[in-house]
Amino acid sequence: MATADPFDAALDLLRRLNPKHTTSHLNSIISLAPDLTEDLLSSVDQPLGVRGCRQSGRDYLLCDYNRDGDSYRSPWSNEFDPPLDEAGLGGVSGAGNDGAGEGAVPSERVRKMEIKANEAFDVYRDLYYEGGVSSVYFWNLDDGFAGVVLLKKLSNPGSTSEGVWDSIHVFEAIERGRSTQYKLTSTVILNLSSSGTALGEMDLSGNMTRQIEQELPVDGDESHIINIGRLVEDMELKMRNLLQEVYFGKAKDVVGDLRSVGSLSEAGRDREAQREIIGSMRR
Amino acid sequence: MSSEVETVSAFVEGAPPGELADVIADIKALSSPDVVSSLGPAFQKYNEEQFITVKLPESSQPVIISSHSSLGGGRYYDVESSSSFTFDHSNQKASGVQSYVLEGAQSDLVKSILKSLGPYVKEHFPNAAYGAYPIENDTKVAIIIASNKYSPNNFWNGRWRSLYIFDPSSGTLEGSIKVDVHYYEDGNVRLLTNRPSTASIPSGTGVGIVKEISTTENKYQTELNKGFADLSEGAFKGLRRQLPVTRQKIEWEKVTSYRLGQDIGGGSRR
Repeated sequence: MATADPFDAALDLLRRLNPKHTTSHLNSIISLAPDLTEDLLSSVDQPLGVRGCRQSGRDYLLCDYNRDGDSYRSPWSNEFDPPLDEAGLGGVSGAGNDGAGEGAVPSERVRKMEIKANEAFDVYRDLYYEGGVSSVYFWNLDDGFAGVVLLKKLSNPGSTSEGVWDSIHVFEAIERGRSTQYKLTSTVILNLSSSGTALGEMDLSGNMTRQIEQELPVDGDESHIINIGRLVEDMELKMRNLLQEVYFGKAKDVVGDLRSVGSLSEAGRDREAQREIIGSMRR
Repeated sequence: MSSEVETVSAFVEGAPPGELADVIADIKALSSPDVVSSLGPAFQKYNEEQFITVKLPESSQPVIISSHSSLGGGRYYDVESSSSFTFDHSNQKASGVQSYVLEGAQSDLVKSILKSLGPYVKEHFPNAAYGAYPIENDTKVAIIIASNKYSPNNFWNGRWRSLYIFDPSSGTLEGSIKVDVHYYEDGNVRLLTNRPSTASIPSGTGVGIVKEISTTENKYQTELNKGFADLSEGAFKGLRRQLPVTRQKIEWEKVTSYRLGQDIGGGSRR
């Protein structure tokens, strides 16, 4: 027990503490173990911030993948806000990292795909979310490219029954000639709450993560957008069903296991009577 | 170090039902041994606020740990089994059981409440502990129900706890019901509820008090079940559609040539 890996322990702790306050728990853990800062920030999903693009006026989403220090890159303008002194090109900044955050912008080819992906997922957002904000960020890899598709929507903010949905889909596309190996890790953060005189306070919040890996044929860069689009769409459909099952099925069932509205002895007598009937039919 | 103890104490306070030992193991891997050794007060606070239940040696009925059943010095008592015991807050085990006979102005009311509370709890809670204790210099009575179900192999745990304070001088019953459910397979989902209640019990009898508790809790659970349905049909549906209005998935081949607001995948929108 005493030799447990601190990083694993940090992730285990975040899986147990109230998911509504992941960001503050994360900051507490970092204060205890500053060595883990970078690893934790890049592997723990937090609710997405929203900022207005200075050039286009459109909203975009903030995460670790479009961040450099205190600046964030807008997918609409490709500019950092506040501006950086110097940004590396080709997804490799002066420090030699792989281009996510850290002041790097993607290479020309990958930026072209990023623009297409932002347009495509803006359509997707409108059709599925009928509102909200979407952003897609790409970066270069040695043997392909990677990216993150972000979606955020608030429903009924400030009312007695409100919700926030954050989708974070991180993928790697390893290019192998005519086919590409896609590895997708998707997290949805879903926070719901309701209140009233008869109900009191009810908070139903959390996050779920799923992974998928798939090799798909590729014919030009356009087909990357199509493949990623399908993967994300299928994954979100699966996750929406899963969230529905866990939030409104499982959680409710557990409450029913803790306490029964009906009488337990009556339910027991009913079961007993049923057994007797079945038993007498067998005789 | 004191701020470190504060930070780690908050982790203890936030431990989900049945997962305190897991949280402590994580804390041990993340902080120094002297921090872990100064968590005694945090463990006591957690156990007393969560109404941790414990089985006394050679007994099958669990009893409740709370500030209302505390005798001080790490000892607690239970009226129904007429016993007091020492509770170890770090490993949640009871020992040193002694006979404890309740006396004082509220002892008859406490016993009468317990007489009705027992059958009520058995009728509605498959696995619960309960208790009633005189508090505030024997002027009021605290009534507690704590129901736990742990299923770590299936990655979920849950707790229902109710606390009611009855004031015989005014006949008022004030209470709160808290439900805590944790689901953590490939994720971390938490239900946390708090439902305060106030009622007047003119008769002031044990039967009358438990009848009110029964009505309140049945009403609340029905309301909570409705709360799930309302969130599912309301806030959840308003966040993301299962499919676009056209009821078809997106045709990604076409999507890049479409502009926002145009038809995607057949039928017309709006």
